[in-house]
Amino acid sequence: MFAQLLFLLSAVLTVGCAIAVAVTKNIMHSCIFLLGSLIGIAGLYATLGADFVAVTQIMVYVGGIVILMLFAVMLTGGKDFVSRAQNLLGLAPSMGNKWTYGIGLFVGLVFLLTNVKLLSNIMKSYPVKTFGNEFPSTVSQIGHLLVKEHVLAFELSSVLLLGALVGAAIIARPRKQ
Amino acid sequence: MISLISYLIISLVLFIVGLVVMISRKNIVAILLGIELILNAAALNFVAYSRFVTNNLDGHIFSLFIIVVAAAEAAVGLAIVIRFFQIKETIHIDEATQLRN
Repeated sequence: MFAQLLFLLSAVLTVGCAIAVAVTKNIMHSCIFLLGSLIGIAGLYATLGADFVAVTQIMVYVGGIVILMLFAVMLTGGKDFVSRAQNLLGLAPSMGNKWTYGIGLFVGLVFLLTNVKLLSNIMKSYPVKTFGNEFPSTVSQIGHLLVKEHVLAFELSSVLLLGALVGAAIIARPRKQ
Repeated sequence: MISLISYLIISLVLFIVGLVVMISRKNIVAILLGIELILNAAALNFVAYSRFVTNNLDGHIFSLFIIVVAAAEAAVGLAIVIRFFQIKETIHIDEATQLRN
């Protein structure tokens, strides 16, 4: 039941955000929708019992690649990129306007209240339920596979990552005219 | 019920959307977004087959290496995009007509 609900939510998130990536004109919004799609794929991995792959997906894609893409979009925006920052209370130009600050404050308050009051009560009254042992952890097996059967690919990927890092630094460095 | 077919359909949709993004967009960063979608579709296929068909963890390993290669590809691709922007002042794909300026 829980797995089916997670599958349905992740599938809708993945497909909807992927289609939104194709439809949206603004490249910044496309990057954000790609982030939602990648989180949905991580949920699909979780429904398949691939816990390590799901966590790696979130760490590498959401924490790394999408942030890199957002930086590239902002660095290459050029003249098309108009800042919409407004002054709040006539002070120095800020990152957002009153709506973003209001929404942020509201979400923060809701998060604080639920954390402090509701969640602590719920945690006290209901013991943590386990969902059976349908999906055993795959981390130790993946670790053994990586250093035994697939050790060559593992070491080659380290060389690939070093080469990509050095190559990216050399390509993107500013050159004197 | 969740079966292999449902994962394959999601993967198919992701692949087609990635292809559409790669073909239709003119922004180089958007083309890289399409490539990421296609790579994710392939990785999802590997994990789904690993669970429903072979029942071992080789698909997980392959999916992890796909993520590693995608990270390297994104780093180099975005470095090329930034360098291209320094030269041409734009990242429209039709401007990329020669290898050296």
